[in-house]
Amino acid sequence: MYVEDFEAFYEQAVELYKARPIETRYTIKFRHKEGKVVLKVTDDRTCLKYKTDQQVDLRKIERITSIFFPLMACGDLPPEGAEAGQAGQQQAAAPARGAAQAPGSAKKPRRRG
Amino acid sequence: MVLLEPDPFLSELHKMYERNKERTVWVTMKRTNMKPRKARKPDPKRPYVCLIRANDGKRHISTTVTPTNYAKFSQSMLVIMKGAMADTLKKKEKPKTGK
Repeated sequence: MYVEDFEAFYEQAVELYKARPIETRYTIKFRHKEGKVVLKVTDDRTCLKYKTDQQVDLRKIERITSIFFPLMACGDLPPEGAEAGQAGQQQAAAPARGAAQAPGSAKKPRRRG
Repeated sequence: MVLLEPDPFLSELHKMYERNKERTVWVTMKRTNMKPRKARKPDPKRPYVCLIRANDGKRHISTTVTPTNYAKFSQSMLVIMKGAMADTLKKKEKPKTGK
């Protein structure tokens, strides 16, 4: 099933993973000739797909990939302090804003004063 | 299926993207505690890791990352993937008539 809206895809994908962490897999298919990327998240019951050929969507791909890494490596989001997980964590907290953020710009707000 | 260490995997992945400019490359990630084929002994205590596979239809490579080393790996992998994808994806269409 293709999901048109990335935010919906993102949320559903994470929900799907959390429901069945061991059975869920995440695939990034890249067809160079057509310049097309298909993201797929499936637990063999439900299949979620997101398709794009736009360069700006690389940020979205990066965002969802960088949340699946901590999810899949640690089982959940790591505690604060792990750098790569940090970006994902913040974006998870604010999904709408996260889409517009460049990688690396999602730094932890520093304490002042 | 060749199970590689994370760093060789990344360089192989890069080569795979370079080689397949006419074809498709799949990269799959999943969470697993399966033992590699060489060690068949069941071990329920084996910790879960993230298995990453890459496939171009001909060759399969794979690696695993642990909670301790995924951060660096994910950054490097994203750099490789973006590098491979950036050129071929369409740029955002700008309005033709500027004000």
